[in-house]
Amino acid sequence: MHPFDIKTVIFAKHAQHVVLIHFPIALFIIGVLFDFLAQWKRQRLLAAAAYYNLLVAAIATIPVVITGILAWQWELEGQKLKGILLMHLVMGCASSVLICVVWFIHRRARRNQEEVLPGFRLPIEAVAVVIVALTGHLGGFLSGVNGPG
Amino acid sequence: MRRSVSIAGLAAALLLGMGVFGTGRKGSVTSAQEKTSTMEVKIDNFGFGPVTLTVPVGTAVTWTNRDDIPHTVVSTDDPKTFKSKVLDTDEKFSFTFSKAGAYPYFCSIHPKMTGKVIVQ
Repeated sequence: MHPFDIKTVIFAKHAQHVVLIHFPIALFIIGVLFDFLAQWKRQRLLAAAAYYNLLVAAIATIPVVITGILAWQWELEGQKLKGILLMHLVMGCASSVLICVVWFIHRRARRNQEEVLPGFRLPIEAVAVVIVALTGHLGGFLSGVNGPG
Repeated sequence: MRRSVSIAGLAAALLLGMGVFGTGRKGSVTSAQEKTSTMEVKIDNFGFGPVTLTVPVGTAVTWTNRDDIPHTVVSTDDPKTFKSKVLDTDEKFSFTFSKAGAYPYFCSIHPKMTGKVIVQ
């Protein structure tokens, strides 16, 4: 193994996807929590905190998706996935889209200088948190974190 | 009397023949087993078992995934001597080792899972 080989750096015993995934998960869940608190307490500071957490979460999904797809293409040679791997891929893509959609709803409201954020975002955020959590659970199962390994 | 003697002779010849053919068949089975002997490695609980397997040249090694999650079997050399597809639960992968040497391998999904086949 060559230390400057990109495949070695990204995958072999340096599974960057597994490391990077924690950032969007944590930022998104905390962002949604802040948003729910901002809605409940009517505090602009919490709403601003929610927005920036969601912004960084949306940005953090980009390297996660890239490293996940590269792991599939390079380590598994892009073979047709099935079972838990396929579920993880599909739910991971859905999670990434939902994180970006939630951030976009907040961004549009801020751009339009709306006083109140649209109410329909809250069920979307709740569903997104559940899907992100399930995707993370499957990922943990695959990597052995949620299992006996 | 002559009839009973001839029946006894026929029975003895039959028994002798069965014994000879039986032994011959047993010998051919043994030689066939020697030619295509197989060894099994079980994948379970995020590990290969046995971790190190020593086999004679010409042995086919079969890996069986007994774990709940997918694994692969990939040799560490470059170019890869053997590389399985993703093995789901109870799926198998076989490779016949025709050359002597040490063949370390790992699971590309879980690189900490390693094993070795020593071919003598």
